[in-house]
Amino acid sequence: MRRLLAGTLGILSAVGGFVDIGDLVAASQAGARFGMAHAWVLLLGVVGICAYAEMAGRIAAVSGRAVFDLVRERLGARVALLNLLASYLVTVLTLAAELGGVALALRLATGVPYLVWVPVAGLAVWLVLWRMRFQLMERVFGLAGLALVVFAVALWWLPTDWAELGRGVLRPGDGGQGWGAYWFVAVALFASTVSPYEVFFFSSGAVEERWSAADLAAARSGVLIGFPVGGFLALALIATATVVLHPAGVSVTSLDQVATPVVVAFGAVGLAVAAIGFFAVTFGAALETGLSAAYAAAQYFGWQWGKRVRPREAARFHTVLLVSVLLGVLVLLTTVDPVTLTEYMLVVSAVVLPLTYLPILVVANDRTYLGDRVNGRWLNLLGAVFLLVIVAASVAAVPLAITTGLGR
Amino acid sequence: MRQLLDRQIVDSVGRLVGKVDDVEFAVGDDGVAYVHALLSGPGVLGARVGGRAGRMLVLAAERFVTDRPMAPVRIPFALVERMDSAVRLRVPAEDLPASPVEEWLRRHVIARIPGAGRASG
Repeated sequence: MRRLLAGTLGILSAVGGFVDIGDLVAASQAGARFGMAHAWVLLLGVVGICAYAEMAGRIAAVSGRAVFDLVRERLGARVALLNLLASYLVTVLTLAAELGGVALALRLATGVPYLVWVPVAGLAVWLVLWRMRFQLMERVFGLAGLALVVFAVALWWLPTDWAELGRGVLRPGDGGQGWGAYWFVAVALFASTVSPYEVFFFSSGAVEERWSAADLAAARSGVLIGFPVGGFLALALIATATVVLHPAGVSVTSLDQVATPVVVAFGAVGLAVAAIGFFAVTFGAALETGLSAAYAAAQYFGWQWGKRVRPREAARFHTVLLVSVLLGVLVLLTTVDPVTLTEYMLVVSAVVLPLTYLPILVVANDRTYLGDRVNGRWLNLLGAVFLLVIVAASVAAVPLAITTGLGR
Repeated sequence: MRQLLDRQIVDSVGRLVGKVDDVEFAVGDDGVAYVHALLSGPGVLGARVGGRAGRMLVLAAERFVTDRPMAPVRIPFALVERMDSAVRLRVPAEDLPASPVEEWLRRHVIARIPGAGRASG
């Protein structure tokens, strides 16, 4: 019974860890502008992240080491340092965007300007990281993030033409907005689905929770159920935007507009539930990105890291954590619009994707760490194909962003 | 040699000490070179990485120490118990010289925050 409960909770935290500010913005924008035409991107992203999260979890459980702990041994100190610098910058940028999402969710709930909430959100995130137990932290925010199910419920409540939605999935078109913009949105949505920090966090979290080979089955079900459910929530975001925002020709530039479909369906109650969901997923992702930034640095340099040791014994790790949260707050205090920041963050994330995913594939085939638990042939095939997609997205991201002016 | 560089160093109770950032050789009576000590610290790491990134790393780390160039943590190879996915030492971290950057940040930043002595788990 306890194992079953732990398994369920693992799934919940995977759901919560999947959806974040990037998905909220990118999925909503995709639905509002192109209808269901990007549903396949979500499917592709979910399959890929499942494959790679399974590898990262297996590496952590079998070797007791987080993936990025091993990157330096495999790639050498110099390449790994450049990898660290790029990954750190993107992760802190993501942290800033998530903090912006927290502040926007609080504004949605209270009406108080979001900039007032930015320092509050930063302090709250840091306090939770400083004091709350790792598992509790994962579960509270994972569970609360399920409030986003309200988008799926709204879809049934609204006069949805299901056949029309289905046709949109099967026959993607550029909706008269140009294929450049279509592909730009596809890359952004893809990057939000397979955000680098998700695997960083997943593999380090597995070490924090002391997974062993005995936990592999539970870990696998957490990944194979949790991430698809997260993908389902993102799909619901696209679908409600297709039904409500697309016909009205609204383009999403704020979190209020992301919530519009549930407001249309359920009024103020819908808005309240959506605000809780937005708050939970962005706050949860802010915790994960903050930790990921510090994990990456600590694991490269070999410092003591993690929430299981006393902070004074991991002073460098906790300093990086603190500085990262501060940097996130500072980025937002420049008054950059959090939604615009999210759009830029997704482009940069897309560019650095291969830096995260290639090392996982390399280590997952290394018998010195995994013994006979290395990747099988089919998983390697899937991993290699997915890596090609990632490289294509990475190469296309900047040219698409420039030629389409961020898809506009 | 390649088996050794960039490996994680773990003490006798499982704490993370640092990475093998460089190694020190000595020549024995028979004229054969052998690994004499493991070196760990941003100074030697930066020198090995080289280029602008390496120099920036050294400069950043040297802000935390008074005597420059900063000396690495030196671990005699005799203290290594075994090597698997990490280099495991036969002594606890207390018996080794501490990292100056860790010391500085502990004293001036982290230990000053209430709750620094208790793990959150």
